[in-house]
Amino acid sequence: MTRAPYLFISPFFVLYALFMLVPILVGIALSFTEWTGLGTPVWVGFRNYTELFRDPSFWTALGNTAIYTVVTMAVVLPLSLFLAMAINARGLRLRDMFRAVFFIPVVVSPIVIALVFGLFFDQQYGLVNALLRAVFGFGGIEWLTSPAWAKVVVIILVLWRWTGYLTIFFLAGLQNIPRELYEAASLDGAGDIRSFWHVTLPQMKPISAFIAVTVLVSTAQIFEEPFLLTRGGPGEATMSIAQFIYRAGFERQEFGYAAAGGVVMFLAVFVIGRMLYTSLGIGKAK
Amino acid sequence: MRRPGASRDTSRPLIFIALALVGLFWLFPLVWALFSSFKQRSDLFGYPPTLIPADPTVLNYVSLFERYPFVSWFLVSTVIAVVSTVITVFVCSLAGFGFAKYEFRGKRALFDIMFSSMAIPFAVIVVPLFIMLAKTGLAQPWFALIVPWVAPAFGIFMMRQFSEQAIPDEILNAARIDGAGEFTIFRSIVAPLLRPGLGALAVWSFLNAYNNFLWPLIVVGDPDMYTLPLGLQAIFGAEGRQYDIVLAGSILAAIPSVIVFIALRKQLIDGLAAGAVKS
Repeated sequence: MTRAPYLFISPFFVLYALFMLVPILVGIALSFTEWTGLGTPVWVGFRNYTELFRDPSFWTALGNTAIYTVVTMAVVLPLSLFLAMAINARGLRLRDMFRAVFFIPVVVSPIVIALVFGLFFDQQYGLVNALLRAVFGFGGIEWLTSPAWAKVVVIILVLWRWTGYLTIFFLAGLQNIPRELYEAASLDGAGDIRSFWHVTLPQMKPISAFIAVTVLVSTAQIFEEPFLLTRGGPGEATMSIAQFIYRAGFERQEFGYAAAGGVVMFLAVFVIGRMLYTSLGIGKAK
Repeated sequence: MRRPGASRDTSRPLIFIALALVGLFWLFPLVWALFSSFKQRSDLFGYPPTLIPADPTVLNYVSLFERYPFVSWFLVSTVIAVVSTVITVFVCSLAGFGFAKYEFRGKRALFDIMFSSMAIPFAVIVVPLFIMLAKTGLAQPWFALIVPWVAPAFGIFMMRQFSEQAIPDEILNAARIDGAGEFTIFRSIVAPLLRPGLGALAVWSFLNAYNNFLWPLIVVGDPDMYTLPLGLQAIFGAEGRQYDIVLAGSILAAIPSVIVFIALRKQLIDGLAAGAVKS
């Protein structure tokens, strides 16, 4: 055959080499140095890594990111599946409109969303506290200034922003399930709940695996939601790993340290993601 | 005997009503932002909060244009998003077609490399990439905001799925017998057949570039080159938290992305879904 396919895929591989592979290698090299951006980097061996694991801020950021990831997997994923099943209900009118309505949050710039949520959850003037006061008689919750509540707000924001996006993937998966399977289950006397466990869930396994890995990779690098909402605050209460790296690199000019944080994150995400991909056998070339 | 799906039929109106209520709830933050952008400042922070402005004003929009180079931010964002989109669609459809319709040595390994690059977190390359660009003098917005991002693996993956579904081998073989070159075949036969997929990829790519925040925050230092998200962030970070003006700016910034989405929503949603499911 011709050289054509190589030429067709070459732009990707050139860009991949220049802007992904080389930066990863540079990042690994940089992580063994100390460098403020001026002069030449000084080789320090594994010091950045040992410091990283002694740095309480790093553990806080890691813990916060783990909370965001686990909650997203445990809450947003099932919620999206549930929403997809509702939208997939046979004979539902305005199906396409519902898909679009729930999808719209990802279309809007995160800064717009963070701003609106910041106003909603403002302790003094916010709509949420005003509603709580009107309905329950109390409404002084420090949504954005208490470490625990601030995390809750970040999670609500993530939930609002990503549920509709994931729904469309589940919906596509549901629409791919042959109807005969449900009819057979129904003839066997299975009710809605039984057929959910025995038809829907097994049939949805491949698409769910794909979605789960996508969610893992994107939540592990969450940056915009907590950064725009509270700058990672109060203190470091909502700071994510991505913001930790951003802060080390671009606010404190500790490029070697930031690079080491990046390498640790890369290993964690890439290894877990890759293992999931291979074990579930998705994305194989035919 | 129980009619299959009988219970589903009776619950359908209930599902419709539930979805409609949750949907209204979902849209509320955006609707609230739209109404609030016409509020006076005192109204915005009044108690109890209201949805409808008591005394609607366009003053927030007027001050936005008087005090900030909003038009410039808008142009920078739009030009960058459009240029990125055009290049992305070209690069991804070419590569997706290459992976879908050719057999060649190393295909499987190359595909795996491409596919697994989706699992590389951006935060890993952000520091070294910035340093590389800064040291080579390429950290200018026009280059740094466009070139490194025009070959997203997800786009290639999506275009491979579309190519497999939409392009019959017979057409390609017939064209080859007629003596057409491979690139001519791509341009004159494949591209038109891929059109729905190209539309989906274009919207996806436009929205990504237009809404991008972290990378512009790092690369763009010059206020004259601010993109919309950076400009909004600057207003918001300025003295006195100008919620009123920034709300007006947010609404205007959201308009292009919402219009693009509404116009091409079916293509985008179906396209994303098709890319993920048919693997």
